[in-house]
Amino acid sequence: MTGIPYSEALAHYQSAKPRSLKASDMATDQLLRAFHPDYREDSLLSLRVGPNQGDQCHRQLAELLQADARIDEADLAGASIVKTDVLVIGGGGAGCAAALIAEQSGARVIMATKLRLGDSNTVMAEGGIQASIERGDTPQMHLDDSLKAGHYKGDPKLVAKMVMDAPDVIRWLIQQGMQFDLNEFGDLMTRRAGGTSADRVVYYRDYTGLEMMRALRESVRNSKIDVWDYSPVVELMSNESGHCAGAVISNLKDCSYVLIEAQSVILATGGIGRMHLNGFPTSNHFGATGDGLVLAYRLGAKLRDLDSFQYHPTGLAYPQHLAGTLITEGVRSAGAQLLNGLGERFVDELKTRDHVSAAILKECAEGRGVRLDENTAGVWLDTPGVERSNPGILAERLPKLVELGNKCGINPAEMPLLVYPTLHYQNGGVVIDEHGHSTVPGLYCVGEVSGGIHGRNRIMGNALLEVISFGRRAGLQAARMSHGRGHKKVTIGHLSKLRRELAVAGMPMEIKGPMLFPECAKFEKDADYEGFRRKK
Amino acid sequence: MTDRHDMSEMDEKLVNVKIDGKAITAPASLSAIQALWYAGYPRIKSVGCLEGVCGSCRVLVRRAGNPEVHTQLGCQTLIEEGMQVMFLVFPRPTHHTYKLEDISSSWEVQTKFHQIFPEASRCRECRGCNASCPKGIDVMRGVELASKGRFREAGELFVECVMCDLCLTACPELIAPNHVGLFSRRVTAYFHTRPSNLIRRLEGLQRGKFELINRDGKPS
Repeated sequence: MTGIPYSEALAHYQSAKPRSLKASDMATDQLLRAFHPDYREDSLLSLRVGPNQGDQCHRQLAELLQADARIDEADLAGASIVKTDVLVIGGGGAGCAAALIAEQSGARVIMATKLRLGDSNTVMAEGGIQASIERGDTPQMHLDDSLKAGHYKGDPKLVAKMVMDAPDVIRWLIQQGMQFDLNEFGDLMTRRAGGTSADRVVYYRDYTGLEMMRALRESVRNSKIDVWDYSPVVELMSNESGHCAGAVISNLKDCSYVLIEAQSVILATGGIGRMHLNGFPTSNHFGATGDGLVLAYRLGAKLRDLDSFQYHPTGLAYPQHLAGTLITEGVRSAGAQLLNGLGERFVDELKTRDHVSAAILKECAEGRGVRLDENTAGVWLDTPGVERSNPGILAERLPKLVELGNKCGINPAEMPLLVYPTLHYQNGGVVIDEHGHSTVPGLYCVGEVSGGIHGRNRIMGNALLEVISFGRRAGLQAARMSHGRGHKKVTIGHLSKLRRELAVAGMPMEIKGPMLFPECAKFEKDADYEGFRRKK
Repeated sequence: MTDRHDMSEMDEKLVNVKIDGKAITAPASLSAIQALWYAGYPRIKSVGCLEGVCGSCRVLVRRAGNPEVHTQLGCQTLIEEGMQVMFLVFPRPTHHTYKLEDISSSWEVQTKFHQIFPEASRCRECRGCNASCPKGIDVMRGVELASKGRFREAGELFVECVMCDLCLTACPELIAPNHVGLFSRRVTAYFHTRPSNLIRRLEGLQRGKFELINRDGKPS
C-alpha cells in the first residue's frame, strides 16, 4: 500500500492546528461507486439456483448458498427425535428475546446455539440502541432517518413497526434488569448516530451489548427454556406441505445427530463477518458464518440485498493480531475527527457509515493514508482531541476503548488510533413480514439474518433495536401459531430438490454448507468432531 | 480480532509455548487461541467473541520461571517464551435461580437476596474470586456489599464482568459471586431505573400522539 510513512504522518498529526474540513469533491453516490467494496465489479455474480435465481449476490456468499448439504437421509437413520413447540436457533439478542416471549406466551421452547448461550455479535455491540425519546425527536424522524440512511431500499412497513416499538423495547430491557447510562436527573442519556437528525441512541458506556446480553442470558437461564449449547444446526426440516417443521442438530458433545421437531422455527443465527468478504478483517464474533442464510435459502426462503454489506469505518488497523476490532461510532459521536496522513480532515465523521468508510478507503487508495507496511494502512482517529475538549470522557463513557488501547500499548487520551474499515454487518438477509415470518410457512427469521430493515446501509443503534423488536414479535407469533395439528411426516426431502438443481446448473458439489466455523479453527480436521462430516 | 494468521508476520519473533500439552512455536504477537490455530490444531470449544467480552475462553496460564498459575481469557493472553496454557472446561451452571418478577417490591430485595444466595453472607474472605478474575474486579467486596443490601454499589463493581464464571469456579463456599454481581445490577435497573424522558414518550405513544406518515403522504 502506498501512503505517508508512519513517523512522518505522526509528525503531521502532532503539528496540531484547528482542522477545517476539506471541501468534498464527491457526492455520496459517486464516492460509494468508486470506493465502497460493495461496488467492486469482480465481487458479484448472479445466483443460478434457488428462490433468488438471477439476483446479484456476493461471490463468497453465493458459493455457500449454492453449496451441497452436509448430510443426507442415511445419516439420520436411528437419530433420536425431540419434540417441542418453538425451536429457536441462535443464542444472541434476537434468539433470547424470541425465546423469552415465546416461553412467556405458554410455548415449550428449545434454544439451540452453535457455541454457548450469549456467544454472539450482540455481546460485542458497543454503540447503543435507537429509540426516539427526546423532546425534539419523534418516531417519524427515526423512520425517516433509517430509510434515508438505507438509501430508501429498506421496507418502510418493517421500519415503521420497529421505530414504534423502540421506547417499549427499552422499557422491556430495563425490566430484564439492563442498566443504561443516566444523567443527573435519571433520564436516559442519548448520543447521535452518523447520518441521523437527532440524539437518539441510548447506551451503557461502550458496553451496551455486553450489558444487554448479561441481563438476557440470566433471564433465559432462569426460565423454562431448554438451552442446548454447542448444538449447531446443519439442516432444517419440513413437513408434507412444505411447512418448516424443525431442524437437524449436530451435537458437538457426543458427535450424534438429533432431530428437533417443532411447530415453528425461529432462525436467529446472525451475520457473515467471518466470511471475510473481499478479504476485509471483521469486527464479528467467531460464529458469524452466515449459516442461517444457507439453511433458509435451501428450504425455499426468499432472500434480499445479498450484494450489500456494512464496512464499519473504524476498525482497528494495527496491531495485526487485533486488526478489525471495532471502535464504536460513539467515539466519533463524542466528537473524534478522522485525519489522513497529512493531518487533514477529509470527511464529515457523522455521515452514514458507508460514506465514511468509502472516504477512508479513498484516502488510502490515493496515497494519503498512514502507511505501516506493504499490507497495512489507515487513518487517524483523533481520540486525544475528544479528551482535550471533554476531559475524562474516555474513561467515563468509553472504557472498552481505553481497554483496547491498553492491549495495543497506546493511551488513546494521548495518541490517536490507526483505523481502517472492518466488515461489520450484513445489510440484507431473509425476507420477512412484520412478525419476522419468512416466505416459508412456519419459519421465522430475526436479527441480522433477516433483511429489509436497513436497506443498503444501517445506522448505529438500529441493530440492537431490531433484535429485540423483531425477536419479541416473532416469539409471540410463533407461540400463537404453535397450537395447531402436529406434522404428519418430517423430513429433509428438500435436499433432493436442491441436489437436482445444483446438478442441472452444473455447480461444484465439493463445497458443503453451512460453514458452521471459520476455516482457521481447523474444525473439519478434528477427529473429535467426527459427527459433523458426512460419513463415507 | 483477526483470525487470519498466515500473515506477513513470518519475520517476527517466534516463541515456544505449550498449549493443552502441545508444544507450539508461533509469533509472539498471537493470542493463545491464535497460536493453536497457527500450529494447525483445531479449536472450537471455548472460542467466542475473540475480543474479551464473551467469557468463553477460560485458560490457566503459567509463565516461565514463575510457579504461580493465573486464570485468564485465552483470546486476551498473548503468548510468551516458556508459557504454559491450559483451556478450562465450563463449570456446571450455578444452582441459584430466581425471577425478578417474583420480587414484589424494592423493600423485599434484601430478604429475597439472602433466600436466593444464602451462601453470600458466609464468605470466608479467601480472596479466591479476586485472584481468579481476569478483569481485575474486586469481586469479594461486591459480595460483601450485596450481603449488606448495598446492591447499587455492589453492581457498580461488576461493570466489566463478562460472566466467565472463573470466580464461580474459585469460590469454595459456592457463592457464585458473578451471579451475585449480576443480581445486584439487575435489581438496580428493575426497581430504580425510571427515566422521565422514556416514560413521557411511552405515555405519548399510548395516547396515539405519534402517528407515522409514509413518504407518499399516507398514514403508515
